[in-house]
Amino acid sequence: MKILIIEDETDISGSIKDYLKSNDIHCEIADNYQKALDKITMYDYDCILLDLMLPDGDGFDVLKKLKALGKTDGVIIISAKEMLETKIEGFNLGADDYLTKPFHLSELLVRIQALVRRKNFDGNNRIVFNEIEIDLQAKSVKIGDTKVEFTRKELDLLLFLIGNRNKVLSKGAIAEHLSGDMADMLDNYDFVYAHIKNLKKKLNESGSHDYIKSVYGIGYKWENG
Amino acid sequence: MAKKLLNKTLNYYFIYALVILMSIGPAFYFISNILFEDDADEDLQVLKINFNRFTVKKLNADDIATWNAISKDVKIENFNGIKKDTLFDLSFYDSLNRENEPFRVLQSPIKIDNQWYTFSARMNMVGKENLVLSTVFLFISLLLLLIVGFFIITKIISKTIWHPFYVALDRIERFEIDKNTNIELAESSTEEFERLNAAIQNLIEKNTLIYKSQKEFIENAAHELQTPIAIFKGKLDLLLQRSDLTKEQFEILDNLNTTTAKLTRLNKNLLLLSKIESNQYHMPEQVVLNDIIISQIDFFKEQAIAKNITISTNLQPNIVVNANAFLSEIMIKNLFLNAVNHNIENGKIMVMLKEKSLVFSNTGMSSPLNGEKLFERFSKVDPSSKGNGLGLSIVKKIVDINSWGIEYRFENNLHVFEIHF
Repeated sequence: MKILIIEDETDISGSIKDYLKSNDIHCEIADNYQKALDKITMYDYDCILLDLMLPDGDGFDVLKKLKALGKTDGVIIISAKEMLETKIEGFNLGADDYLTKPFHLSELLVRIQALVRRKNFDGNNRIVFNEIEIDLQAKSVKIGDTKVEFTRKELDLLLFLIGNRNKVLSKGAIAEHLSGDMADMLDNYDFVYAHIKNLKKKLNESGSHDYIKSVYGIGYKWENG
Repeated sequence: MAKKLLNKTLNYYFIYALVILMSIGPAFYFISNILFEDDADEDLQVLKINFNRFTVKKLNADDIATWNAISKDVKIENFNGIKKDTLFDLSFYDSLNRENEPFRVLQSPIKIDNQWYTFSARMNMVGKENLVLSTVFLFISLLLLLIVGFFIITKIISKTIWHPFYVALDRIERFEIDKNTNIELAESSTEEFERLNAAIQNLIEKNTLIYKSQKEFIENAAHELQTPIAIFKGKLDLLLQRSDLTKEQFEILDNLNTTTAKLTRLNKNLLLLSKIESNQYHMPEQVVLNDIIISQIDFFKEQAIAKNITISTNLQPNIVVNANAFLSEIMIKNLFLNAVNHNIENGKIMVMLKEKSLVFSNTGMSSPLNGEKLFERFSKVDPSSKGNGLGLSIVKKIVDINSWGIEYRFENNLHVFEIHF
């Protein structure tokens, strides 16, 4: 998978690139408006991460240019601007997603995966991980041949963990994913523990392998075997 | 109690006028009396001089009885021993008016036929008394007229000349730096008021400018902080992936993660506050509060599990307010959050929505909170709390911009926050 990061802060683009590297995602970086225009004109990407405030231009103009070129690359806006108006403008211009800075890299990863899945949707919108099979459209999960009932939150958590497989996730990152903008208002992340416990229990009872590893009792990791 | 400036001046005028009236009235009466008496005395003297010059020579002792019979006011009486002219007041009975009337009497020794007699001339003072009284009356009326004039003029002055002053006062009273930026003052032709107006205008312009730049500073600072926080958060996420992390190192990283979340929250709240203050959420719409509460309740019930808190609701159906939807949601979230975060193990939260009010009651500390400081920024009532002290001040801000009211009370061991629409 090839994505383009249009971001002037090299510290941010560098971190993203590092984090995505192990997921077979190849990242290219454009740190200004001009470079961004050059890249989107010449190449196609599975996904473009777009910062709105560039030193020599407006991120929205990159988006307009992309649409003018008739390209169908998926676009996720990553911006510190969190005004509803800005978000709406972004979506109106054809962005697929909007992530407000600061965000967890794990959150960005599942957003990219979700976007790419939607783009490449070929009537078979399923995620398979060993014996676990998730039908995203029907929102149902099969373990082996058994259908297992998961709540919306549990399914969400499962997708987040599988999406970030082999990565250590802090409780904060999981809490943020599960509760959206409310997470950073919370006093503690105890509810994450409760959800993980439930999910583990259901997976175990359905005969699934125990993929969820606790990291020193503070973080979690979905590990293949 | 403070009095109006003009009433105060009027009071002084009034007291002065009263003193003048009280003292000048009698004084004027006495002075005119003396003047009239002098006048009468002079007349009597003239009478005596003429009598001595012309009449005495023609009179002899035998004529005295006749003279006395004919003359009414000038009598020749038996000598009573006086040696020089004597003037005094005396009442005589007037048979015509049947009353005693005041007279001025001049007695003087005279010689007729080498025999001493007493010359006695009198003058009725009734008419003069009347004249004095009417003069005094006239004088007092004039003074009263002057005083009434003062009153009326002062009132008119207060309506016209002082008008700009009262307008300025009213405008300053109603001025709120976070709402209106300039005020309209009344034009004045009075130099002092012109100066006052200019000074007020200047003061307000300067302060509004400072306030604005202060506000922008907070907004910019909060905004600028987003990027470094984002970098920090990203690097932390990367660091967490290191496979050689010890438990201690991992714990430090987790701690940093929590701190970053706090920093993010603080920053977001500051941004939110400054945005509310700069009126960026002004579009009101019909908001169904029930929907907001119901949409939030699952999340907070989940949050409440850790402390085993029971959340119960009593919502009157379809309560609609005219407010910004985003802010209404923030307000309800913050109220919920406050009730969860400051709660105790096995505590409870009750949410009640009525026609005109929204009430959040929760268990918590067993003593009432300081109601005055509760809504101030960064005022942490409970120092052990992990909150940033902005939640309730955001609620207050949202309540304020909607012209609602918020009230805190502690009753039946419950902390009650009531919002009146």
